[in-house]
Parts: sequence; structure tokens; C-alpha cells
Amino acid sequence: MHSTHHPWQLSENIRFRRRFHMSKGLKAEVEKCTGCQLCALACSANHVGKFNPSESRMNVVDAFPEPGEYRLNYCIHCDEHPCVEACPVEAIKLDDALGIYVVDKETCTACGACVDACPYNGCWLDPKGSYSIKCDLCGGTPQCVEVCPKGVLKR
Amino acid sequence: MRGGMPQGSAQEVMMMADGYTGKVLRVDLTNEKISTEALNREYAKRFMGGKGLGARYLFDELKPGTDPLSPDNVLTIWTGPAVGTFVPLNGRYVIVTKSPLTGTFLDSYAGGFFGPEVKYAGFDGVIIKGKAKKPVYLWLNDEKAEIRDAKNVWGKDTYKTEELIRKETGEPKARVACIGPAGEKLGLISSVTSDLTRNAGRGGTGAVFGSKNLKAVAARGTLGVEVPDMEGFMKWAKEMVQKDVVENPDHSGMITDGTPILVDLSNDAGILPTENWRTGVFEGSKGINSEAIKTRVLVRKKACFSCAIACGTHAKVKKGMFKDAATEGPEYETLGLCGSNCGIRNVEAIVKFVEDCDRFGLDSISTGNVVALVMELYSKKLLTKKEVNGLDLKFGNEDAYSKMPRIIANREGIGNVLADGTKKAAKKFGKGADKMIAEVKGMEYPAYDPRGSIGMALAYATSDRGACHLRAWPVAAEAYGSMDPWTPEGKAAICVEDQTRTSVKWSFIFCDFYSVNFANMAKYYTAVTGVQSSEAHMREIGRRIWNLTRAFNVREGFTRKEDTLPEKMAKDPLQDGKPKGHVVPKADFEKMLSEYYKLWNWDEQGRPTRTALDDAGLSDIAKRLSYLK
Repeated sequence: MHSTHHPWQLSENIRFRRRFHMSKGLKAEVEKCTGCQLCALACSANHVGKFNPSESRMNVVDAFPEPGEYRLNYCIHCDEHPCVEACPVEAIKLDDALGIYVVDKETCTACGACVDACPYNGCWLDPKGSYSIKCDLCGGTPQCVEVCPKGVLKR
Repeated sequence: MRGGMPQGSAQEVMMMADGYTGKVLRVDLTNEKISTEALNREYAKRFMGGKGLGARYLFDELKPGTDPLSPDNVLTIWTGPAVGTFVPLNGRYVIVTKSPLTGTFLDSYAGGFFGPEVKYAGFDGVIIKGKAKKPVYLWLNDEKAEIRDAKNVWGKDTYKTEELIRKETGEPKARVACIGPAGEKLGLISSVTSDLTRNAGRGGTGAVFGSKNLKAVAARGTLGVEVPDMEGFMKWAKEMVQKDVVENPDHSGMITDGTPILVDLSNDAGILPTENWRTGVFEGSKGINSEAIKTRVLVRKKACFSCAIACGTHAKVKKGMFKDAATEGPEYETLGLCGSNCGIRNVEAIVKFVEDCDRFGLDSISTGNVVALVMELYSKKLLTKKEVNGLDLKFGNEDAYSKMPRIIANREGIGNVLADGTKKAAKKFGKGADKMIAEVKGMEYPAYDPRGSIGMALAYATSDRGACHLRAWPVAAEAYGSMDPWTPEGKAAICVEDQTRTSVKWSFIFCDFYSVNFANMAKYYTAVTGVQSSEAHMREIGRRIWNLTRAFNVREGFTRKEDTLPEKMAKDPLQDGKPKGHVVPKADFEKMLSEYYKLWNWDEQGRPTRTALDDAGLSDIAKRLSYLK
């Protein structure tokens, strides 16, 4: 069973890519983040009909007092998509309309290969370990972007 | 140690999408027994959650006259129906118990992330009784609960405790509410600290944990919270976050500055406690105000769970003798009581002081008061240097001052006297120290001097847990507003209205800094629980809860004679600024108090009448009060 916990250290490269338009995913100015988790609540509400940060596609990590920062882990929809290559059952499929790869819950066997393959801490298994979860841009209107009170997240 | 699935009726609890988990955890530390039971739905309807629900369970389960530090005291932790949801500024928890500091009802709150985690772990509340044979902590994880050996964390500070418990449980996202040395050593001004810097601070919650050999309650949950109509809820709630929180003009100062904005306001009004309540104007205020925080120690803004305001400040000292000290805050009350009231002119020293209060588990309001008291005694040569642990403890001496939290928490030398608060300390010191303190029922005053805002004297006197600013806040209309701060007229009505509203707010559990009215609270209630509500319904619940906590205190023997005005406030005029020459005249105070009782329909002794209780839907409580027989 693959762990749902990740090392949360991210390289500068990834932060840079998230902040600027280097991928099809959400952009985040993480230094503006105040860690309220409203994004995670809106995300789980939309995806599983519950308020539950553990089932959110946005993983907000607080690290205080040192180094004194927040980290936002989510799928940045990178061009290389190693998760897609790693999936043995082709559960991560191209959404033609959005041009991004999303997890097909029914096909996913929760083997965790995508979790291991992703260098960005962008996907993980849901708390029950039943399928892999990652950002799907809410079909085009990301709820986290709508609710973020500090303007951290952008499509 | 006992672990695994709690016994009881968990499987019989119906899952309802109404905000509540429907489950209450019961822990008997003496016999190491854990069980889960269904939430009392009738009580949930009548008392909502948080404060209200806690007050009702406590009233039922605590024998009157119980020693708060005995195994018989009942220690409860509550969330509310909206905790863990998208409802903004609603991620709090409350500890409800009998206070060892005051002997009254006690409800002590903290923000951060612990409250929602308890809910996600499957519990609306936790009821803890008895005393463990050796130090333990309680671990809650997805409807499971376990009493675990605390030998690795006993004696450790709160920061280290959180770190070690996360390691032991293998859950880096576990949230931990724990005590430091102050609580272990039963200090009556000790707090329960969660998320390192958030405190259920007031009234000696830490000592109640300590008396039960309970080091911590830790939680990790992945179960989530449901509401009846998620789609409708989100559509509406998103708009509320924007319109009623982000764009609400009442919140602008909290968004830009947070509570430190009050330092200048109070100083201008002459009510900033300074040098143990000698004056209300502090010459050094520029070194401890919001500007000082923003320019000297601020690293970034920090929010609690579900908060769109983010008033918190991650602060770190950049240079000097307190370099690298860090905290969240300091907040206004701390700046007043641990700052100006101790004559401290530099925010860096306060950051260090409050970091240590958090680490050792001390309430900064009470600690600031008790340090200021000993500073006054030392300045007046009523205590010698030898008697104060060899420290040159004059007002403003940052070096000596910064050593005090450790000394108090560990009960070292003078700390052994100070650890139990100003009232007990003054009694031990003698030498007229009882005339130097500001407290009600043994709980120290917060940072608004009522001599420049006399409604606050009534607010402190009538608060159900001793002197507290979070039940009624007339200072907003008086010293900070346009109302005459010295007339007794109209102040009782403000207190009654505020106490009704806060009773509801503390039962959701909303943060103080959400300026939310009854009508919107009713909408939130309906959206979360599916039960129709209205402003009148919310007011009814508020009145019910305030009458209940009063009834609790009356049952413990509290009446008008304990709703006091400190002698200092009645006799020593303030020295400077707008309130120069003012006291709180005793006659005005008594007039306000009588009017206040009348508005609540309580008798002249401050006891709820049968009619008041019947009207508040508390006829069942009335039957259990001996003075009504």
C-alpha cells in the first residue's frame, strides 16, 4: 500500500513552474497563501459532496514556525505527465475539451504507480485508498480559484 | 493501554447530513475505558453546539461543589455543527469544564485547526472524567480512540509535544491540543495550547488536564462533514464569504492589521493598561503597536481554518537579544497586558515572552497581569530582589521580564506564588497587594481599562467565567465609539445584547472577529443543519445558554456579591489622557448591575427567576435549583 503522505519539499523549479504559465494547471502565488483551506473545502465539496480536506485535490501544508510557510500540492498538469506513462491500466485519460489528463475513478485500481511517478506531489490516493485523486480543474471552473479570499490561485 | 474501537452504540448512530457527526466520545481515565455514544439530539436542538452543548452536558454531569482539580471534575471538548464546513471563521473548539481559577463555569476557545480535526475524526464532543494512573494522552483517529502512554512527552514543552506525538502516531497532519509544564504543575493560569500558538487560554484549562494526568488530546480525521444540500450551500456560502466577510467594512482593520490595531485606539482613549493599571496612556506605545509589528517582526499573515480574514501574524524577531524568537501574534490583549502593563516598549521582547507562554502553556492575559503585579510590588520595595528570584524586576526591564514565563510555569521561587494568578498571589503577598489587582472571581482583567469605558466593568463583572472581554464588549460603543464612556445609562442593555449574541456565536463555533448578525447566523444554521431558523430562534438559543451558565454558577454558590468591581477601579483615578481623574464610581456600577439583572429578569441577587428560566426554555433546569424550591 502506498503512503498518502509525501515529502513536502518542493524544488524552486516547481515553484517557478506553478507560479508562471509553464503548464496547463493552476497557478499559485503561494507566498500570498494564509493557509485557511477554503480551497480544499470547496474542492472536496465539489468532488465528493463532503467537506473534507483529506479528499481534496488541493493539499495545503502548513510548516510553522520553521520554515514558516505554506505549501500547496496539486497536479500542475505538466506536459511530461509521467503519471499517465506509469499507470498500468490506462486510468489517466485525456480530457479532450480541457487538454488535460484526468483520473477515471472506475478504471483506477489504486495501485499507486502514478503517486510514485509524479515528481510534483500532484496526486495521491484518497483516504480509503480506493483510487488516485488529482486536480481535474473542476471541468473548467476550478472551485478553489473561485473561493480563494487572497487571490493566491489562478486558472 | 486500552485502544481500538470504542465500545458502545456507535453503530446505532444514524448518519445524518446535518453538520453534526452524531457521536460523542466518553473517556474514563481512572478505569481506562472508552466508549462512543449518540449525541443527545434534543440537547443539540436546544443548545446547538460548542458553549451551549458543553454547558448543558456539564450541568447534568458535574456534581455541584466539585473540586475542579479532583478526578470528579468533568472535562469536555466540543465542536459545533458548522465546524469543519465551509462556513467562514468557524474552525474553533471549546473546552468546557469547571474552572480551577474561578470555581465557575468555564468555556475556553481556540482557533487554528484542532477543532475541525476532532470533527473529521468523527466526534462532536469528548467527555473526559477521572484521573489516569500515570501521564497519558488521548488519540482520536477516524472514529477510533485510544488512551496512550505519555511518558515520552510529559515534561516537554508544547512545541516538542506536538512534534513527538506526530512522530509516535505516524501522522504528520495530526492536530494536537496539549499542556506544557504550567498545566502539569497545576498552575491556575495555565492554558491548553493547540497548533503551537493557539490557546484555550483562560481559566486554568491546563491545570484541569494536568490534574487528570492528561498531557494532550491529538486528532487526525479523514471522515469529512456533510450538509443537507451541498450544491445550494456552496452557491450561497461562496457569496457570503465574499460579501459578508471579505467586503464587510467591519473587517477591514482585521484584514490589514489584526487585533494589534487596538493598541493605538486604546492608547488614544486612555484605556491601555500600563504599569499594572496605573495609567491608560503608554509613552512607549509606538514600540508595541500594529505599525511596530508590521515593520519589525511580521513575516507573513496566517489564517485559522476556514477564515477569509487571516488576522494572524507569523512574527519573528530579526535581531537583538531575542533574535529568532517567533510566535503567531502577539495579539492585542497580549500587547496590552504583557506589553504596556509591564512597561515593555519593544515588541521583540513581547514576541519572546509570548512564545514562552505558548511553549510552557500559560494564558498570556493572566500572566501579563501577574507579572505586572510583582513588578509594582518590587518597584515599591514591597518585595526584595532576593524575593523575586534575584531579578531586577522593574517595569520595562526586558531581560528580567523575559525570564518570567519559565519561572511561573515551573513554579520556581516567586513563580510558585504567581502560577495561581493575581488573586491568590495578592493574598499570599499581603502588603496591600489585593488593592493593586484587577480581577473578577479570580480571573484577571483583559486589556480595556473600565475607568475610561465603564460598561466594561459591567461586562467583566457579569461574564460567566470571570473577567472576560469575549462575552460583552461595550468598549466598541464607548471608548472606541461615540457613546459617553462614563455614563452608566444604556450599558446594561449593551451587555445583555452582546452576551445573547456571543452565546450563539460560541455555540457554532464562530470566531469573535466575524461580525456576523443574528439573521445571518440563522441562515448559516439552516444551511448546515437543514432546520428552519430565524433571528428570533437564534436569540432564543442565546438567551437559553446565557441563563444556563448563570444557573450553573448560582448552583455553585455565586450571586451578586461575586459580580464585583475591583477596588482599584473604584478608588484610584486614572492619571492621564481622556479618562484622567476618572474612576468607575461604585454607585454607578451597582446601578448598572441592578439594571442588568432586571433586563435578564433575574432577582436582585443576580439569580435567574423561574419565569426567566421558563421563558428561556429551561424549566427542566429550574426544577434542579434549590433556591427556586
